[in-house]
Amino acid sequence: MKINGIQIDDTYAEAFNMRGTRVLITAQNLKWAYHAANAMTGFATSVIGCGVEAGIERELTEAQTPDGRPGVSILMFAMGSKVLMQQLETRMGQCVLTCPTAAAFSGIDSEDQISLGKNLRYFGDGYQIAKQLPDANGINQRYWRIPVMDGEFITQETTGMVRAIGGGNFLVLGKSQPQVLAACEAAIDAMKKLPNIIMPFPGGVVRSGSKVGSKYPKMFASTNDAFCPTLKGAVKTALDLDIESVMEIVIDGLTFEDIAFSMKVGIEAVCNLGADAGIQRISAGNYGGKLGPHLFKLHAILGGSS
Amino acid sequence: MTALTFTLKNGLTHQLDCRRLTNQFLADHTIADIEAMTLESHHKVADWFTVSGSDASNIVFKQTNSYLTHIGHQMTKGRITIEGDCGDYLGQRMQGGSILCKGNAGDRAGDKMRRGILLIEGNTGDCCASSLMAGTLGVMGFTGRYLGYGMKRGTLLLAKQPTEQATWVDCGSHHLPFLKLLYQSFSHFDSQFAKLSSTRAQRWMGDISGIGKGEILFLNPD
Repeated sequence: MKINGIQIDDTYAEAFNMRGTRVLITAQNLKWAYHAANAMTGFATSVIGCGVEAGIERELTEAQTPDGRPGVSILMFAMGSKVLMQQLETRMGQCVLTCPTAAAFSGIDSEDQISLGKNLRYFGDGYQIAKQLPDANGINQRYWRIPVMDGEFITQETTGMVRAIGGGNFLVLGKSQPQVLAACEAAIDAMKKLPNIIMPFPGGVVRSGSKVGSKYPKMFASTNDAFCPTLKGAVKTALDLDIESVMEIVIDGLTFEDIAFSMKVGIEAVCNLGADAGIQRISAGNYGGKLGPHLFKLHAILGGSS
Repeated sequence: MTALTFTLKNGLTHQLDCRRLTNQFLADHTIADIEAMTLESHHKVADWFTVSGSDASNIVFKQTNSYLTHIGHQMTKGRITIEGDCGDYLGQRMQGGSILCKGNAGDRAGDKMRRGILLIEGNTGDCCASSLMAGTLGVMGFTGRYLGYGMKRGTLLLAKQPTEQATWVDCGSHHLPFLKLLYQSFSHFDSQFAKLSSTRAQRWMGDISGIGKGEILFLNPD
């Protein structure tokens, strides 16, 4: 399959089950909402080393937030509910409670509820106040008002936790590092407009794709040598001779459909640049079906036959 | 479904305890059942009210006066609207739901209230929010003597400045973003409370003769 002269490999991205949640962060203005959200989603690129994968999903207008202030929504994913709860609580305490004017609210409905401010309330040392109020839909929600030095920290007691999917991905292969990076930036710009997904790596792009296992016994993942351009002659490479750079976009999302659509949008944004922009191929990272149950077949996503 | 409506008949000249006219007692009853209910020892509902409508989660009192006491007593859910004045113990021991009184209320409005929203557009008598344990009580008018007497927790929202009391401590004036959440919860009411927008309030904590975790918020202080 070729689009605009760019080859689309007949392969698939392999993704796995995760638990996810959404938190709405509001503040006096967007600047401070971003300060809190950036801190909360910092060091959250991969569950391998960070515990969770998190990112800013989108900006919210005053009309889209519970307290009528501007804000952003955050998506956070983990391999299990326990880790997600632990990480959410820690990050709320260190990144949102601490941030001037910031408040936090539930961003997703679910029967499974996890603590947002439920335990943070004890920071109020007995002066915290619970308020149970109907939201815009008339459903009672429980909030905590915790006295802090800038006034009050407001947080909803819990947020929803849902089943989600992590590890959707595609690889961009091209003639040079600047050209591949520019193509990835175009993809990220298009994908950032979509709801229910995040691209957790720096700028949405990861250069250190991995394979399972290593020559070193203590390492359970190591560099994806088949896609490393400087090893082309030394390993069983997946690259043509004129490919000098490969970058990956990893997507976590709430549903299979959200991830599949975002991959389609991202790949199409790359292909819109055309082969003249130095992009040779689009591929995907998979582990032969050993990593997870969700297979995102590139040709099927893009409307092809497979 | 239309609101379950109690229209007071003329001639009431004594206090009438209305504690049985809440959602938990009235749900799933026909109008005939309700009219036959006993309010006090020998008074039936039909003796004093014309009953219409069917939605017990939305109860309306019309042509009311200050003899009607204990409206919303221990109510747990639903909404009560009083389109006029009412008597003492409005929302006493309330445990959920909401009450809107479009006129004046008597003494001890919100007494021992535990949860829910109680809004009074007019004035209240003495001991408003006495021993209130939690929830939100809003008053647009004046509030009488012994405001928040024995109040433990909860929020008392006032549009008129209260008289200073020895057992309430002034915590200063503040912008409280929380008020936007509170106002949003008022937006469902056809009421002056739905028009509130100021997040500036003077805050007192009390009643410090007890645990002192309650708050009075006076809106738009100078």
